[in-house]
Amino acid sequence: MRLTDRGIYWVLATVLAAAGLIPEFRSLGNLANVATQSAALAVLALGQTFVILCGLIDLSVGQLTGLIVVLVCDVAAGRDAMTAPVLLLALGLGAGSGAITGLLNNRLRIHPLILTFGTMSVLQGIVFTYTDRSVGRAPAAIAWLADGRLLGLPVAPLLVLLLAAGAHVTLTRTRFGMHVHAVGGGRDNARRAGIDTDRVAATVFVISGVSASIGGLLVAGRLGVGYPHAGAGFELDAIVAVVLGGTSLAGGRGSVAGTVAAVLLLGLTNNVLNLLQISSFIQMLVKGLIVIGAILVNQPGGRRAFA
Amino acid sequence: MKTRLTAICAALVLIVAALPLTSLAQGVEAARVQETVATARFKKAAPYRVGVAAGYLSNSWVVFCLQHIRYEAARHKEISEVLVTDAGFNPGKQVADIEDLISKNVNLILYWPVDEKAIQPALEKAVVKGIPTVNTGGGFTYSPGTVANAFIDQVVLGDMVARQLFKDMRGKGKIVAMLPIAGTTAAVDQLAALRTAMKEFSQIELLSAEYGDWNRAKAKQITENLLQRHPRIDGVFSPAGQMSIGVAEAFEEAGRLKEVVMSPGDEYNGWLKWVAKHKRGGAVTFPTRVGQEAVRLGLRILNGEPVKRGLAVPSEYISPASITRYVEPTRPDDWWASTLPEEWKPK
Amino acid sequence: MSTEAERPRVRPAAIVSWLNAGWVERSAIWVVLVALLGVAALCSDAFLQPSYLFNMVRQAAPVGVAAIGVTLVMVMGGVDLSVGAVISLAAVVAAVLMDGQAGNIGYALAATLTIGAAIGFANGVLIAWNRGSPFILTLGTAVAVYGLTQIYSGGTARGIVAPGFREFFNERIGGLVPVLALLFLAAATIAALVQRTTRFGRSLYLVGSNPRAARLAGLRAARLTVTTYTLSGLLAALGGIALLARSGVSSTFAGRGFEFDALAAVVLGGTTFEGGRGGVGGTVAGLLVLFVAFNLVNILGLNYNVQRLVAGVIIIVASAAYTYLTSRRLTESRLWPSHHTSEGAP
Repeated sequence: MRLTDRGIYWVLATVLAAAGLIPEFRSLGNLANVATQSAALAVLALGQTFVILCGLIDLSVGQLTGLIVVLVCDVAAGRDAMTAPVLLLALGLGAGSGAITGLLNNRLRIHPLILTFGTMSVLQGIVFTYTDRSVGRAPAAIAWLADGRLLGLPVAPLLVLLLAAGAHVTLTRTRFGMHVHAVGGGRDNARRAGIDTDRVAATVFVISGVSASIGGLLVAGRLGVGYPHAGAGFELDAIVAVVLGGTSLAGGRGSVAGTVAAVLLLGLTNNVLNLLQISSFIQMLVKGLIVIGAILVNQPGGRRAFA
Repeated sequence: MKTRLTAICAALVLIVAALPLTSLAQGVEAARVQETVATARFKKAAPYRVGVAAGYLSNSWVVFCLQHIRYEAARHKEISEVLVTDAGFNPGKQVADIEDLISKNVNLILYWPVDEKAIQPALEKAVVKGIPTVNTGGGFTYSPGTVANAFIDQVVLGDMVARQLFKDMRGKGKIVAMLPIAGTTAAVDQLAALRTAMKEFSQIELLSAEYGDWNRAKAKQITENLLQRHPRIDGVFSPAGQMSIGVAEAFEEAGRLKEVVMSPGDEYNGWLKWVAKHKRGGAVTFPTRVGQEAVRLGLRILNGEPVKRGLAVPSEYISPASITRYVEPTRPDDWWASTLPEEWKPK
Repeated sequence: MSTEAERPRVRPAAIVSWLNAGWVERSAIWVVLVALLGVAALCSDAFLQPSYLFNMVRQAAPVGVAAIGVTLVMVMGGVDLSVGAVISLAAVVAAVLMDGQAGNIGYALAATLTIGAAIGFANGVLIAWNRGSPFILTLGTAVAVYGLTQIYSGGTARGIVAPGFREFFNERIGGLVPVLALLFLAAATIAALVQRTTRFGRSLYLVGSNPRAARLAGLRAARLTVTTYTLSGLLAALGGIALLARSGVSSTFAGRGFEFDALAAVVLGGTTFEGGRGGVGGTVAGLLVLFVAFNLVNILGLNYNVQRLVAGVIIIVASAAYTYLTSRRLTESRLWPSHHTSEGAP
């Protein structure tokens, strides 16, 4: 009935093969573009993979990304000397915000969907109270990170590969990774097995926050300015990618490789629809149908709002 | 007492808010607009593929502007194709769209930005590859990524609207301003023009400047609250007809339409209908044909002809008396009086 | 009342929990509303004028009508985030079908409501059969519906509102109460009655408070799911018509973000994401709290963006408060997604 965990790879391969028929698609420059365009989403989706594997969800990452984009550019104001401070600022802000979300999650005991929906709204309020127009400029090093090349290869996709490998190893080879799977598979059982479930939950929210930091740096580098709307909608795209990649929203089951493949699939779809001159209105419809399809194909969960 | 305190606070906020604005908005500097652009390096032989990187396509003005682009392109045999992308207000997507258009080997990129600064790096990539870029619409961009602009000067437009309003008010009274999205060129330039014009009219007082986001419903809601806050409002500065309707409606429902002078709006059909019905207000145009001018400007660049950095498409004042020549009563409100032939108007 | 005798196994528990959910909790939001109005009146005497207050009710009507539907869905334990998109589509479709002719109004409204109901029906079927996440699924529906609306409208709001349509809804009865405000309050009253007195209404609470028990008790949960989402779609379309009536706006994204306002009103009103508690009355109070707060922010001349911040804090605090108040009655596992323990992974 539902696609196996490998389904996403077949879909990706099919779309790639079909796209190969379009001459403009095959150019190396275009492929590098697709990879670079998808990098920020990929990083956010990696973070979200941890959260969802744990049976939780984080809707606040989009607006957090926006806040980081705005602050990084505004504080740096294009000065290269500010590169290291804004890197620290971004990472600290992401980790701090994630830690607060984790703490609230453990303390308030309200469902993470509604909790992070609330923090999303608060973060959005903060971003737009801070500025309602583009501010500052990203330093050159961050622009290079997002859009530059290293030995002829685009940097951002390399960074994504590195992070994905790290995430994969963490989830499959470490004790913490095992705990994430265990908590996602059944929280009460995990606790009975002696796992500090609150600590695991807090940690995955911190990871999610840090992914927003890195994603925010990539977006800041790519846009070059602190655009306050920059993060809008990223949370949904990230969740869709994770779910498309075969991770169950109920937690406990899924993979990093699936997420990366799904992000590539989304990026390719956008690129191909653009190259084929499909109207953007239809593109939006297609995107909605992909979300619905992803849920239908992949989710065996309960009938409730969170499932 | 309370209202006065509020007014003082509001004035202070406005003054503080205006400080950076006035430094930014010296208007569109004539020297930069008049600067000549060397276009020899963009010269190529036909046929041309024209790319349009739309920041958004979900408002009627840009839909009309795009139809003007398509219409003008169809009149030139040397243009083989028009490719359109829509970023849906997402600058990240507009960056990707521009890269995709470059991959598609277009020869010319017309665009209107979601955020003009955010897409500069992508536009610069196009220019480096020898693809000229033309900013099309309501703002003038002076930047290496933008080869030329076909634009409507919002400072001039704001000035025309303000002076007509002051004239209709006989030079005195309290006004409110309804502006588009805060921080956009339109909002910044229009407010700057209003303030500059006010310097010559000492008896005009600006009570409050609000941002209605080009949204009729929001403009109405904001005005409902303005009406509560201010017992007397003599005039409304609202250059966007779409919002003027919402403003006028709120005044009408409060029974205060008689006390207020509405400034000219633009040639938004719903506003033109209002003007035709009430015989007041008038319009200062925000011509959608700027799309056509952008195509012609692009073709001149591809021919290697030197062009000016900015091609301003002038706004015109339409008095309430002559509005009947422009209003289309059987068309929707969300429609623009234009010079498009019937078969090229949006379906 | 006869149904209670038929299903003794579930009924007593449900009644206990309904009572337990408590008068304190259910009246709390009304107390908040009155207190907020008091504060607002101190800041501006506008809040003492009946015409201004009814104006506010009319402002709230488009979101409010949709929020009624969202309440029913959430009582059942689901959620519907597609209402903002359906509101937008409905406003566009109604205006286009009216085409400036008063004679078209009946047909245009009927067609609009049918389309709204159809989208709700589709949501319901997908959720009932697939048991996927309604939260994400209805977000997906929203994106798809926005796409459809754009394809249909071509980017301009090409409809022409029929003469008489807006005049009728904005007419003030006795020079005071706008028809639109009255209709919204009427719709809320009917929904509150349905939810309290009909079998359908009670089933919502049963399924929401304990889906497995409800299923065991023979309730056709799938059918109930489809009915409720259909109703939500229908009410959202009605909200779109109300929006068109209030402001004459019918652009593609006219209702964007309304789903979040509706959700905030519902949660504020005491209906939780877990389902089984709350109701339409609370939602109306929650909605008015939001709109009084928004208008207060506005009339004080504060930054419009502060509204979002306020909404976010309200959502978190309200949810946390309800969870705290009810935590003694709930097992720990209810606070974590229920399938973790009950329907469980391997």
